[in-house]
Amino acid sequence: MPFHTGQFVILRRPGTIEQREYTVYSGAKDNFLEVLVREVTEGKVTPRLKKMQPGDQLEVDGPFGFFRFNPKMFPSQKFLFVATGSGISPFHSFVKTYPSLDYHLVHGVRFGEEAYEHHDFNKQNITLCTTGDKTGNFMGRVTQFLATQKLESDTQCFLCGNSEMIQEAFDILTEKGIEVQNIYTEVYF
Amino acid sequence: MNLSDSERVISVLDKAGYTWTDNEEEAGLIGILACSVRQKAIDKVYSRIHKWNKWKNHKNLITFISGCILPNDHEKFLKLFDITFQMKDLPQLPEMISRYGVTTSIHLKTGIDPHNENIEQFWDVKPSYQSGFEAFIPIQNGCDKFCTFCAVPYTRGREVSRPSKDILAEVALLVSQGYKSITLLGQNVNSYGLDKRDEEITFTELLRQVGELGNRMEKEFWVYFTSPHPRDMTDEVIEVIAGYPVLAKQIHLPMQSGDDKVLIKMNRKHNMKKYRQIVHSIRRLIPEATLFTDIIVGFTGETEEQFENTRKAMEEFKFNMSYTAIYSPRPGATSHRWDDDVPLEEKKRRLHKLTEELRKHNRVYNRQLEGKTLRVLVRGADRKEGYLTSLTEGKLIVRFPSDDKNLTGQFADVKITGSSDFSMEGELVNIEAFA
Repeated sequence: MPFHTGQFVILRRPGTIEQREYTVYSGAKDNFLEVLVREVTEGKVTPRLKKMQPGDQLEVDGPFGFFRFNPKMFPSQKFLFVATGSGISPFHSFVKTYPSLDYHLVHGVRFGEEAYEHHDFNKQNITLCTTGDKTGNFMGRVTQFLATQKLESDTQCFLCGNSEMIQEAFDILTEKGIEVQNIYTEVYF
Repeated sequence: MNLSDSERVISVLDKAGYTWTDNEEEAGLIGILACSVRQKAIDKVYSRIHKWNKWKNHKNLITFISGCILPNDHEKFLKLFDITFQMKDLPQLPEMISRYGVTTSIHLKTGIDPHNENIEQFWDVKPSYQSGFEAFIPIQNGCDKFCTFCAVPYTRGREVSRPSKDILAEVALLVSQGYKSITLLGQNVNSYGLDKRDEEITFTELLRQVGELGNRMEKEFWVYFTSPHPRDMTDEVIEVIAGYPVLAKQIHLPMQSGDDKVLIKMNRKHNMKKYRQIVHSIRRLIPEATLFTDIIVGFTGETEEQFENTRKAMEEFKFNMSYTAIYSPRPGATSHRWDDDVPLEEKKRRLHKLTEELRKHNRVYNRQLEGKTLRVLVRGADRKEGYLTSLTEGKLIVRFPSDDKNLTGQFADVKITGSSDFSMEGELVNIEAFA
């Protein structure tokens, strides 16, 4: 399935009506499609997805969405990626597709063990923020980390995660002089 | 959109030999074209079908439902209605009815197809236009935008554009038959052609070709479109509207909120800077254009400060009309999973405040038109005894004294003699005269 990095797909078990949107986690040049799913134990979709076995069928609809990324589209080549939880998916796809990017990723999780496949990113390009333990590079929320940072005004900022984080980060970035049109958002639900 | 859909349903049933009745109790076949935008409309569907199913105890009755239906409702409707189908399968409705034995419990249904395959067969149905002067032409179906407050991507499926040659042919046919007001319809009308890049013309080019057609036909008519999405609104579209007389100088540009953070939460993919740029382009290129919008108040988490940004935006953009809705969570839409945390009374207060803002601007706008002569399209009898009602090209309401119902569907020139907040009054100066 061809897609632009940053787009999402809708997954549904055949014959069921419940479906969910997931941003593509794999790179645009990979010969497979990968998504990152956080299990919601009381949910209607993820427990079923977890039980799936190789060979089981899944309906994949898409790709959709406008959180598209191609470095050539942007006036500046300095990128800041901010994610909470599985909101790291689009950034994983960005970096896999464009390995020579000049980026910094700020990823927020509760515990360090929830940091998914950080080995796919350059160590010096990632800051892990943890709120539940001290195993990350910074103890606290991603927005608390952002508040301590100096940013160049033409930095292209991409935010993906829960809406509270995005709203807070939006305020912090605009107060730091980032123009609204240089902030791109994808709210996870 | 549902009005346009219903014109095609009536056409199919007419051909199958059915006759229309205004009396619900007399009908042997009753159908609903559902709208899932608001829960209230769906609640009405449930109320009606329970009533009709009771009637089946003493009369033969077949019920069907189509239109904008969420998957969860669809599952329930399969048990409640005799026939459930997607609009794209409309041509098969007579066959579905004939296969339905009144005394049997055969279930006729088609599933929800998010890809809108075969939607062309629905567009190919010749509609039974319900007006002799005003028509709606669907040019695009479905939505890929996934706004968090809206369930349309889950009910209407993906964006699919109708072939431009068919659209242009329908416009030409309607104009040759004397239609004066034509509206191009789509959930995201200006996304037209984006699903068929390199195969189909763009929305700008479609409008340009409609404009050229208008020039060639030398007939007076106004072409509108609704609803566009600010994300896909370009200066080229506005320039084309400015350049052709038949493209009506009225633009409906849904804003939804005047606050960037609320727009992010709504997943609107446009910010206020972009919206402002579009409005500036409209004012620069078409200063006479009227501007309409859609706004939602009390969206989940909307603070007083964020609402105030919306009110300020209304003050700034001076809309001629705003279809303002109180937010209500719709099952199936993403925001349904969030707390509906703005109290109803507060939502009502915000709605009232925006209405007052709209009223204030319109009062001034309408007053400055007093003494001017405006071209209007007469729509029929007004609620005020002895008056006809009409719309200007910008869709402003003008009523004038006349009992002559033959004027309905004709262009006329009316001199504005008075104005109120949402309408104007005038005197008939001239009828038709263009062609």
